[in-house]
Amino acid sequence: MKVKAKLKKGNVSVKVLAKSPMAGKEEAAKKKIDVEFITHMRATVNGAVVWEASTGPFLSKNPYMQFVFNAQAVGAKKGDKVEVNWVDNTGKTKKGGKKIK
Amino acid sequence: MQRRKFLTMGAVAIGATVLPASLSATDFRKEVPAAWDAEGSHDAIKALFGDIKPTPGKIKMKAPKLAENGGAVPIALKSKVEVTTVALFQDANPRSAVVVFELANGGVFDLKTKIKMRKTANVTVIAKGIDGKFYSHVQKVEVSIGGCGG
Repeated sequence: MKVKAKLKKGNVSVKVLAKSPMAGKEEAAKKKIDVEFITHMRATVNGAVVWEASTGPFLSKNPYMQFVFNAQAVGAKKGDKVEVNWVDNTGKTKKGGKKIK
Repeated sequence: MQRRKFLTMGAVAIGATVLPASLSATDFRKEVPAAWDAEGSHDAIKALFGDIKPTPGKIKMKAPKLAENGGAVPIALKSKVEVTTVALFQDANPRSAVVVFELANGGVFDLKTKIKMRKTANVTVIAKGIDGKFYSHVQKVEVSIGGCGG
C-alpha cells in the first residue's frame, strides 16, 4: 500500500494506492482466480478516524483513493502519521501509513 | 425463514436511517448487506438510505465523458455541502453499489477514486448532509472498452 499525505492551507490531502485484485464473483470465475476484494478501509490520525470507505468489487483493480480533511479538526500537524487500515472479504487485514508532509 | 429474513432487513433499514451525525465506525457491508446485492441503482439506494428524495445539483462530479478503459474510470466528487456519508452507484455492473465513504468531523467533501464499468451507464452519487438532507447527482459515462474482467 502506498500512502501520501500533504498539508496545504489547513487541509490535509491524502492519496492511497491499495493493492488488491478487487475481483467479485463474476470476475473471479472469468479469470479463474479467488474472489478477493477490499471490504472496508479506514484512515486515522492521532487515533481519530478521518475517513472511511465500505467498498465493493467494482472499484478498479489496485484501487486509488483520494480524500481531504481539515487538519485543525483533529489536531493534525506536519510529522503526524496518517494510518490506513483495510480488511478484505476473507478477513485479511493490512496496515500502512505515512507522515504528513 | 423468509419472514425472518424480511424482518432483519427491515431492522437494518431503520438502523441505517438513524445513523448519528458524528462518525461511528460503520461497516456498511455488514450493516446493510442488501444494498450490496441490489442490481439497479434505484434498489441499492433504497436499501441503503430508505425511501429518500434527494436534492440534485449541489454535488460536482468529474468523470470522463468517454472512458477509454472501463477497468479504471476516474471519478472525482466535490461539494461545498458538509456531508457525513457519500455513496457511489452505477448501472454497468452486475450489482450497483460501488463504495460508501464516510467523512469524520473535519472531513472535506473532496473525494477521488477509480471504478470499473462494464459498459456505458449512469453513475449516481448520493450524499447525506450533516443537516440530514440528501443530495444527488447523476452522470452518464460512456465506456469504449469494458472493465470488470471483460
